Amino acid sequence: MNMSESTQLVPITVSVNGKTCQRQVEPRLLLVEFIRETLGLTGTHIGCDTSFCGACTVIVDGDAVKSCTMLAVQADGSEILTVEGLERDGVLHPLQQAFSSNHGLQCGYCTPGMLMSSLALLADNPNPTRKDIRKQLAGNICRCTGYQNIIKSIEAAASAMQED
Amino acid sequence: MEMKFDGEFNINQPRDKVFEILRDPEKFAPLLPTFHSMEMKDSNRANLKVKVGIGSIIATATTELILEEALAPSRIRYTGQGKVMQGAYQMSSTFELDEIDGETRVRWQGRTVLAGKLLSIAGGGLRSYAEKEINRVITSLQAALAPGAQTAEIRVPEENWFMRLLHFLTGTHKQEATDSQASPATAADTTMTYAPHPADTLQSRKDSIHKINRILDAGCNAMKPGRKEDKRLVTGQGLYVDDYLPAGALHMVLVRSPYAHARILDIDVSRAESLPGVICTITGKEIAEHTTPFTQIGPEPSARIQDFCLAVNKVRYQGDPVVAVIAESRHIATDAAQLVEVNYDILPAVVSCEDAQTDTTVIHEEAGTNRTWQGVYEYGDVDQAFAGAAHIVRIDHLKFHRFSSTALECNAVVATWDRRDQIDFFCNTIMTVPIAMIAPALDVRTDQIRLRTHDIGGAFGNKIGNYPYMTLAAFASRKAGGAPVKWVETRSEYMQAGGHGGERNYYDTEVALDKDGVITAIRSRHVDDCGAYPRYEPLGCVIWSQVLPAAYKLRNVRIDFSQVVTNKGPCAPNRGYSRLPHMWFMERVIDICGHELGIPADEIRLRNYIRDFPYTTPNGCVYDSGDFVAMLNRARDIIGWDDWKQKQQQARTEGRIIGIGIGTTLDSGTNNFAQSQIINPFLPFSSNSVVSTVKLDLDGSISASVSTFPQGQGHETTTAQVIAEELGVDTDMVHVKTGFDSERNSHSGTCGTYASQFAVTGLSAVHGAVVKLRNEMKKLAAYALEANENDLEFGMGEQGPEVRVIGTGRGVNYWALANMVNYNKASLPEELREISLNVRHTYVPPFEAPDVEKKYGNLTLTYAMQLHIAAVEVDPQTFKTRILDYVIVDDCGKVINPMIVEGQVHGGTAHGLGAALLEIMPFDKDGNVLAGSFTDYAPITINNMPDLKCSNMQTPSPFTYNGAKGMGEGGGAPLHAISAALQDALYDQGVIIQHSHNSPMALHDFIREGRQRPVTTESR
Ligand code: FES
Ligand code: FES
Repeated sequence: MNMSESTQLVPITVSVNGKTCQRQVEPRLLLVEFIRETLGLTGTHIGCDTSFCGACTVIVDGDAVKSCTMLAVQADGSEILTVEGLERDGVLHPLQQAFSSNHGLQCGYCTPGMLMSSLALLADNPNPTRKDIRKQLAGNICRCTGYQNIIKSIEAAASAMQED
Repeated sequence: MEMKFDGEFNINQPRDKVFEILRDPEKFAPLLPTFHSMEMKDSNRANLKVKVGIGSIIATATTELILEEALAPSRIRYTGQGKVMQGAYQMSSTFELDEIDGETRVRWQGRTVLAGKLLSIAGGGLRSYAEKEINRVITSLQAALAPGAQTAEIRVPEENWFMRLLHFLTGTHKQEATDSQASPATAADTTMTYAPHPADTLQSRKDSIHKINRILDAGCNAMKPGRKEDKRLVTGQGLYVDDYLPAGALHMVLVRSPYAHARILDIDVSRAESLPGVICTITGKEIAEHTTPFTQIGPEPSARIQDFCLAVNKVRYQGDPVVAVIAESRHIATDAAQLVEVNYDILPAVVSCEDAQTDTTVIHEEAGTNRTWQGVYEYGDVDQAFAGAAHIVRIDHLKFHRFSSTALECNAVVATWDRRDQIDFFCNTIMTVPIAMIAPALDVRTDQIRLRTHDIGGAFGNKIGNYPYMTLAAFASRKAGGAPVKWVETRSEYMQAGGHGGERNYYDTEVALDKDGVITAIRSRHVDDCGAYPRYEPLGCVIWSQVLPAAYKLRNVRIDFSQVVTNKGPCAPNRGYSRLPHMWFMERVIDICGHELGIPADEIRLRNYIRDFPYTTPNGCVYDSGDFVAMLNRARDIIGWDDWKQKQQQARTEGRIIGIGIGTTLDSGTNNFAQSQIINPFLPFSSNSVVSTVKLDLDGSISASVSTFPQGQGHETTTAQVIAEELGVDTDMVHVKTGFDSERNSHSGTCGTYASQFAVTGLSAVHGAVVKLRNEMKKLAAYALEANENDLEFGMGEQGPEVRVIGTGRGVNYWALANMVNYNKASLPEELREISLNVRHTYVPPFEAPDVEKKYGNLTLTYAMQLHIAAVEVDPQTFKTRILDYVIVDDCGKVINPMIVEGQVHGGTAHGLGAALLEIMPFDKDGNVLAGSFTDYAPITINNMPDLKCSNMQTPSPFTYNGAKGMGEGGGAPLHAISAALQDALYDQGVIIQHSHNSPMALHDFIREGRQRPVTTESR
């Protein structure tokens, strides 16, 4: 059972929000732990221990991934985007602004995961229906908003981006 | 007053070029970060408008700028003069240029003379401001001359700090991407480049990355600003407990009991302690030796319960913490926890409320019984009412289930008990009460404890239950020599141990009705199951009585109320705490009576609703305002009640099961803590208070703190709203401290975020404070402007936010006022020297002590109301309930922020719907937790949340300054409405909805297995 004594560290290289990071990690380190603890990017949250809640969602090589379902070593060579990488030159991404404008967040704990899942949705489907939104976010739990304004936020972001 | 400045800096450009720019007012002036606009008089003279200010105080100054000397290529001198803040100033600046190694060294000197009474009393803060501005000029000059910059066309960059501020202030914050203006350095830092990994040739991966990159660059049109809290939260800059890791922090992991009830025989921590990286372990024995059991709220015999932060001798629920392991990393602590060996002697588990009442097995031997509290609430003449009843409806048993709002962030704390004997808690608790619980347990003074929160990932009442863990983490920190100790609960731990909402059973209910179906009396016996340790209980044994008759006008009530402990995780308040289960009961009662007597669900409610407000309930509570009838009418209209009734008939003929049901509920807010004396007359508590401080800070900006612990309710936003409105400024000018800090936020013992009170207690405290601040500001302004206080008004002027003489344009801005008080006391007459511009207000609701004997008195100040109607369909094969339509009408008095109110309504509805159909904390007969993870518990998702149709009514509360009522908890109307809709759907199949949780399995059992009808009706 005692893993820490015999642990061999494994070198990995990932690009996180455009920056290349090389680190030695324990094989058992979860990607979410790597992002939060090794890199100090604490915008990605942990809400459960059974990969249910989606608070830890990040983008790995273009796909939304629950970063607690993946080991850091599995991400070797990947390109990762976290919530910290959404803003551009101090300007919020339309999804971030839409969540704020439409009160799509209350405590904000689920929000980074919601944003990353929504980003993956809009990347694939710039004009999603409510059903598409529900389907994409079925793995993201929010305990504050009752989801109504999350749906509204994503719709608003989609339409704002279309009009642009 | 005169100020002189000088300095030098280098520019990596030839001297000619630098001279060229500096000698031309048209090129030079726009480099001033404060530049607003200019008009050239001739080639050497310009009229210049600049904005000057500190923080959010911005004034416009007009300057005449003259180029006095231009000796090419080495010397330039400008002079200027103008007016600002009702005074005058003169300035001159000289630049001497030398060329050194192809670079230019600029030496400069500046001199400013200020004149005028206001400037001389307010000018203290000007120097550092001026220096900062000069640095900005230098930076902007260097940037303008940087290689590659277009020196020919110098203009203020669109998105410089000032323009951003201006957009911000004027609400015209632009959403366009600013890539064209960004400096190359910034762009390089933030651009996301997804260069494909060389080893990876998969096209699909490239496509996905490309799609993400494209959408990352998307611009969009402007959207309205959201809450003050949002910016940090949507950018991942929130600071939740788990995001905080002070240097040298250690990690605590708990070994928890696998059994619900067992005696601890022995504990062996030797293998765990020998693991490298483990600092120490702690067992219950040590805790019992060095700490004091937590204060019990209840009277004898429950006062005898010994509750420590670790299990001592016995475990009382599955998940009871037995050993704490402290190590250098969480992984090591987790590994070590697995090496701890504990031997148990398993005892019979008391799982059901019924078993607990028999006392066959006693959980807390010290108390000698599982029954922690009992009392009878009796009002009116119940037996007389039954004697004269036209109908009596008897309901054997109803049951409200255990569930939890399961905030997405679990309990967590970083505790540091340092060698100076100060204890710092960075945590996510939700009120100041833990200070009073922890200090005696650790035998420290309350002022040795610093309690801090920042962002909290939801709490819904549950996190009151964090204090035993906080105590343990502090103890661990001291044992570990003063290092910070971090403990973050896992979700699985929370499911076992974290505060869940309690279970309530309603036995032998009898309802007396007159011939019209008006309820005249209820008698019943209610038993709460609070889990293994009472902790915040037995307060729930009185809190329900805030809504004793629910929405109905009956006057005769006898409820025998008691509480038991069981071998399940200790409960904590959960959204709608104690009132919600009672209102669910009352709604079941009225609904079942309606069906039994053949009176439609809407009709029986209309016959029973309270109609006149303020209304004094049989136990002395005062419902402040409301209109149930109007709410019902509106909700019926929106959902199309009559249509649904027809559809229901039609569906029946097709074999479909459809029902429509109403839930009327109350959300009582702002506690009178004196009600705790009904539980235990020795408790020295009464009323309630919340404290706020508002100050005009040193630089004239406005900052505020409130003694609350927000967890998503937007307190920063609404606090700023109240202050801004009172002062006539923009909310962006008000800075509200995030979270709670006992060393920063002035507070009292009952401060916190609970019991639907912020809009009343919090905002009243803020309002009281800002009114006091206004009065101080007026006094100062009257002196400075030599005016009468009554002739003054607040507003925005040329000089930023100001106090001015009405109709004259003569004003003094906040900066000047702050300066007078903070830096220039001698300028003030004796009678104004007490003014601090840093004021505190404590809001105390107008409560009196209740009559403890009679259990009579006003227990809460406001009553928000909600009325929900649900239309549901039950699948006859799977027994799954689908929501077909859902309408909400809510009334929380005057609405301060509609967006936030609606958000709370949505959130409360999701909790209610989740609880009604999905969420339950079940246990097997041995007390094993059956929903041990989120996956088993299945909190409501976006997929099973219907679209809600919301409507708001406003009947202002006569008891609050703003007419608002607290409303954050909601009264659990979805539980009432879903039970009622299912009742409507299934009554003709002989089903009585007895449980608040109706999963497909539960409905299957009801319908298929059939059971003895729990209801009888006697008509005379
Ligand atoms: S933390 Fe990853 S899904 Fe919950
Ligand atoms: S905003 Fe709190 S969990 Fe979603």
